[in-house]
Amino acid sequence: MTTATPQTATAPRRPGRHRLTRRALPYLLSLPALLVCIGILIPFFTAVYYSMMRYRLNLPMMKGFIWFDNYISFLSDGAFWNTISISLIYAFVTVTGELLLGLGIALLLVRPTRLNNAVSIMLLLPLMTAPALAALMWKLMTNPNFGILSYLVGLFGFTDFRWASDPSTALLTVVLVDVWVYTPFIMILLLAGLRSLPKQPFEAAALDGVPRSFVFFRITLPMLMPYIITASLFRLLDSIQQFDIIYSMTQGGPGDTLMVFQVQSYLEFFQYTNVGRSAALLIVLWAITYALSNLFIKHWLKLRERAHGPA
Amino acid sequence: MNQISTFEKIVRGVLIALVLVFFLFPIFWILLMSFQNNDQILRIPPSLFFEPTLQNYLALLTGRLETTAGNLDIAFMRNLGNSLLLSTCSVLLSLALGVPAAYAFARYKFRLGENIAFTLLSFRFAPPLLVLLPLSLFFKQLHLTDTYIGLIWVYQLICLPLILWIVRGYFEDISPDIEHAYRISGHGWWKTFRKIAIPLARPGIAAAGLLAFIFAWNNFVFALILASAAKQPVTVGALAFVTASGIQYGQIAAAIVLSVTPTLLLALYAQRYLVEGLSLGAVKG
Amino acid sequence: MTSLELRNISKGFKSGKVLDDVSLSVKAGEIVVVFGPSGTGKTVLLRMIAGVHYPDTGSIAIDGEDVTDASPEARGVGMAFQNFALFPHFSTFENIASPLEARETPAGRLKEQVGAIARMLKIDHVLGHAPRELSNGQKQRTALARALVAQPKVLLLDDPLRNVDAKLRYEMRLELPRLLRTFNAAVIYVTQDYKEAMALGDYIAVLRNGRIEQWATPMSVYREPVSIDVARLFGDPTINLLSCKLTVNGTGSITLFDRRVPIAETYAHAAGRDLVAGLRPEHVVVSESEAPDAIPFDLDAVMPVNVRSVLYLRGAKGEELLATVGETEAAKFGRGQRKVWVRFAPSHLLLFDAASGQRIAPQVH
Repeated sequence: MTTATPQTATAPRRPGRHRLTRRALPYLLSLPALLVCIGILIPFFTAVYYSMMRYRLNLPMMKGFIWFDNYISFLSDGAFWNTISISLIYAFVTVTGELLLGLGIALLLVRPTRLNNAVSIMLLLPLMTAPALAALMWKLMTNPNFGILSYLVGLFGFTDFRWASDPSTALLTVVLVDVWVYTPFIMILLLAGLRSLPKQPFEAAALDGVPRSFVFFRITLPMLMPYIITASLFRLLDSIQQFDIIYSMTQGGPGDTLMVFQVQSYLEFFQYTNVGRSAALLIVLWAITYALSNLFIKHWLKLRERAHGPA
Repeated sequence: MNQISTFEKIVRGVLIALVLVFFLFPIFWILLMSFQNNDQILRIPPSLFFEPTLQNYLALLTGRLETTAGNLDIAFMRNLGNSLLLSTCSVLLSLALGVPAAYAFARYKFRLGENIAFTLLSFRFAPPLLVLLPLSLFFKQLHLTDTYIGLIWVYQLICLPLILWIVRGYFEDISPDIEHAYRISGHGWWKTFRKIAIPLARPGIAAAGLLAFIFAWNNFVFALILASAAKQPVTVGALAFVTASGIQYGQIAAAIVLSVTPTLLLALYAQRYLVEGLSLGAVKG
Repeated sequence: MTSLELRNISKGFKSGKVLDDVSLSVKAGEIVVVFGPSGTGKTVLLRMIAGVHYPDTGSIAIDGEDVTDASPEARGVGMAFQNFALFPHFSTFENIASPLEARETPAGRLKEQVGAIARMLKIDHVLGHAPRELSNGQKQRTALARALVAQPKVLLLDDPLRNVDAKLRYEMRLELPRLLRTFNAAVIYVTQDYKEAMALGDYIAVLRNGRIEQWATPMSVYREPVSIDVARLFGDPTINLLSCKLTVNGTGSITLFDRRVPIAETYAHAAGRDLVAGLRPEHVVVSESEAPDAIPFDLDAVMPVNVRSVLYLRGAKGEELLATVGETEAAKFGRGQRKVWVRFAPSHLLLFDAASGQRIAPQVH
């Protein structure tokens, strides 16, 4: 070993001036991500611009800058307030339902047995279904002529249950679809959260003979709160912008009972070709989600740190 | 939690069964419907027992449908093909672009990287139409409307952020010393990236890719706005199908079954990674 | 021939300056130990030589060639990490072969060289295993093998024995110098263990606060520490430190434990200053019977450490003194002995300036 052959004793490559390439490397690698960012920001700022214009696609000569008139006109527009209230109601009802149901199921499945794990895997399936297709599935099931659900509620006396076609039950129907699709999401998150909780407090409580309700409300729930908050905000953010389910089901109808933000905006754009109003509506929605998402990101980062260690 | 009474076990079992029924029944029912002809579907009361038929699937596969009103051409298989093409290409592109970028974000702390990551994260929750509606106007000018390239490019808006968040975490979990040791041994950074970073992050890359595929496949609104009938994926195509064929419920059911099966199978195959992917790394599965 | 030369290396991070004007050189076949408490930048220094970090100022040269800006793969150094940094998805064989594979060594020769070094390090029987199947000792040897296999000019060892169990550490401490000499590389060895430093190094560089405080042979560092801090870092138990003042009245003397201790006139230049006198515990002579010039102390406790014992002594005014005695001696002090008598030779005293902490060297006129 001491008689070293010259080839192996030298460096594999001659040293050179690498400082520039070294510095540039991260920027080069992230170039495509940057392009995508720009690809998002340009339309975004364009939308902001359009929202402050009078702009209808079928009347291009009337195009003009009107500052905040679109927004101001919303204040006195019944349709706008309808949109806000329906969107908020939809968001809160779905998230509350999904939270309660998801938490309940997570508690049922918390012990990591083979059966429980198999069940939680099966429960992923609705989440993996395209929401637009899920809406179609439920549309078929709620068909007044042959839908199994129509038949079933008929057995309970609701003979002419019109589901999504009826203004009084349309919201219920789409909420049902939403809950069906998205409850597993909350369930998965809370289940992972529950399973990651430290065991000692529970063992101590068991030793002390503490009643189960106390354990749940005073130990489990507080420790699970970060996950609950993160999951709820996540879903709230998505729910308030729901499009796929509602559009596939009723395109916002019957009438305007389901005119949530994005559906309304879509119709403004494609049916009424009113680019200005449609953009303004979206900006209002964006403002709401932006505020919420900042809140969400804060909580999400905290959870992430807990899982991965400090970023 | 040692003493679980039998009563509790029974209650638990019943509840779980109810939950399973609620969440799996629709899929099961549509599956049943897809094997029924119209008469069987319209029969009241609906029955679990019937003689199955493959005519719905045949009609979809062959693209022709014989009805009492005449023959109908169904282009549903094309929608399926579109979905496959769009999802696969989008994911492959986003992996090619996103994995190196995720590496850059993980290994180098640079201001631009933090800004990009933050922008992509905050726009994850922005209304899609906010970007899509102006984009549809741009596309008209750029003649990108109704092109696969345009759609694949737009689908990056969905896939790329996902890849970045998930894969970045996996790269960060690799000890930098391992890469340093490889470089000191005499290998350049590209070889280190290929032979050390990527293999060690493979679970994350697989998870991100699968999840991106599922999200791309399930996407509805992008294609609704930017694609025409010829290029629409199944999500939009199915809706059009329903409106067009009206009374062919069995075929609609079959179409839905064909549309959801790929993602459901993928989900079952990749379920290990789903928890972490879905929560964007907030929880480890 | 100087294999490795560092000149005026400085490096700062957001948290502060880690290295400040560090210079050193190592010849082929030499082992230089960079010693210091944790967090003093030893690892950063090593990584800069390897090319993982780049210095803010200064230059690094290997075999006369400037490599300051060179990327790690171009420098031809070998490095063994403290936490091994083995490639988890490669086998042990592939781990060791990695540097040879980078140099495109033909397969036959590669197998030969990997086998030879594995035999040398006694891990040839685990070559087919994955790293997670190896014990810590085997992992460390694999890391060493990987660093050595391409016969680098410069070898960097980052506290390689830290994560290895005590018995193995002791064995390797004996084996390493022998192993390293056969490779004739310039070796930089980083450690926090002063015993390791003294056992392995031809020279020790004491790194504190980003600067090299002392550069000397192990014996010199021990016998002639450049400052109080260095004196405290080397030696177990820690050196005894006593405040005093040097007065010169014909002959120089300091007062310790109310006794006058004569000090050689070579220290006369330090007269009038506040000083700290250092006395190593092994130089404190303790007897259970009174002797002329001996100082009475109370024996507080006896603690056996290996084949020595440490005596905790307390003086008349409550001053603390540590002394070490051999095993046989220690037996005398076990049985309730309370009062002991202490002597020491003035020549064993190290004098430090109280204000600067620097040792006062005797001036020979």
